Amino acid sequence: MDWIAYLFNGNFLALAGAALAVILAGIGSAKGVGLVGEAAAGLVTEDPKKFGQTLLLQALPGTQGIYGLLTAFVILNKIGIVGGNYVELTTQQGFYFLAASLPIAFVGLFSAINQGRAAAAGIGIIAKRPEELSKAIMYAAMVETYAVLALLASILMVTGIKL
Amino acid sequence: MAIVKMSKLSLIGLESDKEKILDILMNMGVVEISESLEKLSSEEWKDLVVQDGDSEKVAILDDKINKVKWAIEYLSKFSSKKKGLFSEKRCIDKNEYNMTIQNIDKLSSIVESIHKYNDQLAYLKSEKNKYANLILSLEPWQQLTIPLNVTSTLTTTILIGIVPHTSTSDRLKEDLISEAPESYFELISSDGQQNYILVIYHNSCEENILKVLKRYNFSKVVFKELEGTVKSNIDRAQKNITRIDKECEKVEKEVSEFAKYKDDLEILHDHLLIERDRVKVLDNLLKTSRVFYLEGWFPSELGEKLKTKINSQVECFLEITEPDKDEDFPILLKNKKLVQPFEAITEMYSLPSTKDVDPTFLMAPFYCFFFGMMVSDAAYGIVMALITGIILLKYKLQGTMGKMIKLLFFCGISTVAWGAMFGGWFGDILPLISGGKLNIPPIWFNPLDNPMKLLIWSMVFGGVHLFTGMGIKAYMLIKEEKIFDAIFDIGSWYILLIGVALLLVGGTPAQVGKYMAIVGAAMLVLTQGRDSKNIIKRLLSGVLSLYNITGYLSDVLSYSRLLALGLGTGVIASVINTLGTLFGLNPLGIIILIIVFIIGHTFNLAINALGAYVHTSRLQYVEFFGKFYEGGGKRFEPFKKNTKYITLNDKEAV
Repeated sequence: MDWIAYLFNGNFLALAGAALAVILAGIGSAKGVGLVGEAAAGLVTEDPKKFGQTLLLQALPGTQGIYGLLTAFVILNKIGIVGGNYVELTTQQGFYFLAASLPIAFVGLFSAINQGRAAAAGIGIIAKRPEELSKAIMYAAMVETYAVLALLASILMVTGIKL
Repeated sequence: MAIVKMSKLSLIGLESDKEKILDILMNMGVVEISESLEKLSSEEWKDLVVQDGDSEKVAILDDKINKVKWAIEYLSKFSSKKKGLFSEKRCIDKNEYNMTIQNIDKLSSIVESIHKYNDQLAYLKSEKNKYANLILSLEPWQQLTIPLNVTSTLTTTILIGIVPHTSTSDRLKEDLISEAPESYFELISSDGQQNYILVIYHNSCEENILKVLKRYNFSKVVFKELEGTVKSNIDRAQKNITRIDKECEKVEKEVSEFAKYKDDLEILHDHLLIERDRVKVLDNLLKTSRVFYLEGWFPSELGEKLKTKINSQVECFLEITEPDKDEDFPILLKNKKLVQPFEAITEMYSLPSTKDVDPTFLMAPFYCFFFGMMVSDAAYGIVMALITGIILLKYKLQGTMGKMIKLLFFCGISTVAWGAMFGGWFGDILPLISGGKLNIPPIWFNPLDNPMKLLIWSMVFGGVHLFTGMGIKAYMLIKEEKIFDAIFDIGSWYILLIGVALLLVGGTPAQVGKYMAIVGAAMLVLTQGRDSKNIIKRLLSGVLSLYNITGYLSDVLSYSRLLALGLGTGVIASVINTLGTLFGLNPLGIIILIIVFIIGHTFNLAINALGAYVHTSRLQYVEFFGKFYEGGGKRFEPFKKNTKYITLNDKEAV
């Protein structure tokens, strides 16, 4: 039963954590950015000049994906997959890394989608009152707070793991 | 350095002087003429006065403005001048302006003819479409040699039409011949979906023919009003199209001749705009048959100047009063030059109400500080400061746009400072390409090495920010002579929060902190219910108020984003650098490095500057403003020459 041993291999678990952070946060961002894009396309057919403004709103839910990548990179850096000094992890350490990736993975997934919704609603603000763009941005940004907190938790956990 | 004090102007003048007075006010551009409609409902006034105004003239002028605006946009198609990134208003001196306005009739007729030409072009285009469609529908019938207007002879009928492609024409032909031998069938052409066929039959077998054709879903095609063969018709249509094209070209050329008047039209547009505003403001005036009444706001410091200026030119009754204590007046912010750009952030939230303090000058340093900390890469800061600096030098930007660019310039400088503190210069590119030889060490420390340290500092900075906000609230309370409120509501929280913070430090400070926290908490419990008379209720709401400490906790924790976003920039930058150097430092590798470097860092800078802007604003709006700021003020909009394309070089303006 080799594969069970592989499954509990510390490095595998750490990689799985890094992968989860990228996958889930990335899915969330993709969905969120997509939502805003759909709404924005409708507006731009009416008024192509507003492309720049809508693009700004569309970029907002994209950050969670970046946070996921960032966490993954910090993990990979720590265990030496990037940058040399490959470290053999124990199963326990592997689980630590897996746990550390969870905050940004899940919060990233859901906050990006909800941020996308808030930003898509903000497209309505641009349509009727383009001068109030910043207020639309603020509403979407309020959601992002939790992604930032999750990122912080993940990074603190990863940097805190003793090798 | 705050909200500008406003005074109220009431003016009664002769109807015959109205134009002159409005002219003076418009040229000075410092008075906001406010609605005096409430006077209409007051007992004293309502029988004496009526509302002034000429909505019809406003509508006419609006219509004219729209037409001119449309013509300008239309002409800009022909203009070879490239539009800059930021549009600036042209500066026109008074003489040029007057000269242009003298030709107002000529310019109006130009606008009219541009509209006429456009109608003509639209008509020509629809004509062209008609012919193009005709050609399209005739094309399948090109092989048909019978003239289209011939549909029968003495004893036969000629039919053309289409059948769906599914039925093969051979079968149709066989069926036709077997059921009606006195007929002729020809397949003219065929495309993917339809067969175009010609059938000629003797009138005696019409019934049979139609039966067969119906079986094959035949539908008849008739070209009304066309004579001659298909070919000749197509030729004719094509000739018409070339003729129309030529005509279009001619018209367009004639229109493009007008392009040189675009600048003049812009002046005309703004002239009409000023005219419109002058008529529109009448809505806010009251009048009797001989005199008119006007009410407005202006910055108090200009009172004497305004008075002498009006009195020296016309005779009228003029009164200047200070606003009542609770009266809302329009808000104009005035700050020192360095702080001014940050007004954009305040305005974005909401202008201060008349009771608020203008928060801009207190917010500005924090804004810069936090923004720099979130981007925290010295090289990014240099890029930001350079780009915005060049824009500022090249364009004279006004309004919110100019403020934002200046703000980014200051934030860029702050970013350089923070980047140097944390040792980020395009991430870790220098040690990476020099193999560790070149390295600019951080002045303070590298946050990636010790994130906990920066986390604590972030919260300390946040605490200072929050305390400043609470301090402003206390200041406002003291100004309203509610000194006890200031001590109880703000002072006790100060004591409690500082005490709690000292407790966390540990050691001797913790001993002091313990007592401070207890004193602060006791003050809160004893004072927070002071509005109610029931003693039990008082204590209860006092105890409940302690629960607010969770609010302060979450406020302080919110500043952890300073760390998170700062780390984010650094880590993404090093990801980009790592990717770029993957191929080593050979020639190919260096090319790849340069490409990855430029694209990657541009992206990182853009996304992080946006993030920093958004999150810094949030810290100001939610955490800082939440402590003291009300907002909801109305912007001061003086009656002046508002223009779109030009600025008048006019010495009379104040």
